[in-house]
Amino acid sequence: MMNTYRSHSVRETEEIAEQFAKTLHPGDVVAYTGDLGAGKTAFTRGMARGLGIADEVASPTFALVHEYRGSVILYHFDMYRITDFDDLYSTGFFDYLDDPNGILAIEWSENIDGVLPPGTITVAFTVLGEEEREIKISREE
Amino acid sequence: MKILAMDTSAKAAGVCLLDETKILAEYSANLGLTHSQTIMPMCEHLLSQSRISPEEIDYFAVSNGPGSFTGLRIGIAAVKGMAYAAGKPCVAVSTLDALAYNAVDFSGTVCCVMDARCKQVYNALYDVQPGTIIKRTPDRAISLEEIGSELKMEKNPVILVGDGADLCYNEYQGLLTGLVLSGAANRYQRASSVGLAALEKIRKGETISAAELTPEYLRLPQAQRELMKKRRENP
Repeated sequence: MMNTYRSHSVRETEEIAEQFAKTLHPGDVVAYTGDLGAGKTAFTRGMARGLGIADEVASPTFALVHEYRGSVILYHFDMYRITDFDDLYSTGFFDYLDDPNGILAIEWSENIDGVLPPGTITVAFTVLGEEEREIKISREE
Repeated sequence: MKILAMDTSAKAAGVCLLDETKILAEYSANLGLTHSQTIMPMCEHLLSQSRISPEEIDYFAVSNGPGSFTGLRIGIAAVKGMAYAAGKPCVAVSTLDALAYNAVDFSGTVCCVMDARCKQVYNALYDVQPGTIIKRTPDRAISLEEIGSELKMEKNPVILVGDGADLCYNEYQGLLTGLVLSGAANRYQRASSVGLAALEKIRKGETISAAELTPEYLRLPQAQRELMKKRRENP
């Protein structure tokens, strides 16, 4: 199943994500692909809001993972600097994957494509113009 | 002599109190709950139910790897903190060595195997006669395929123990004769097994200070190539 959206602003990206978040369940893994500045952090901010989480969302580039806590926990990863299995292991990624109450949102999921679990939801961002973005959400059947 | 042993190396978590004659008390939980939130209440409850005060504990033992990155750090931090505060020595036990004690009644080869994801396992092999355990390989991280080709060479019956035992059994049960899957009660990491392995190390004088206690991670064999491999290349 695939849904394609067109966003014309950061706010619109957040709103698309907020609606999308309402379809998520604990244990879901959401993998982002796309360029820098395509709206991945904004999308995660909208997702957090949709999940009823009040925490402030920021890019996890430096810390590798941020945790946002509500009735579910949103784990926000950035895999940009992950280059091998040991790197990934030492982020605790596999332990987060086992958390039955967690939802994972993964920036730069291209870097760990080989270990994404079956059923991963992919969100592909494409920059179309200064503000315009295409957001393609795919779920395996 | 009293030992408090802990294991949080994978999905199960447990604590155990033992002395040189018997296992006095043990808690084990495999509920998918966060070890950082459950392990200290388990310790506290175990000690209060046992009417043992923390000062009466002579050694603090913990499985220090291989295992889950977060899990190992939780167990080690907890044991390090308690041992440091109590001014008592620690015993670091290989998670795989502890697992071998789950099958100490077996006769043959004990294959301890933990799931390291993506068809990789943490493994060590042991020659076991009831009551004696002789380690035959170092702790290692290898592919499921390698373990299969090694087990094919075995002349003795082989028992699989650990959270990778199912995985290994499903892969090789038809291909290897004499392959046994350990029963559910002895399948996973147990704090009592950590305690029994620790007892052996204490006898040999292999104790360390709280400051010397560190996790032993094993390097995983898979490379970046496999990590970045496209899942949907061959749909």
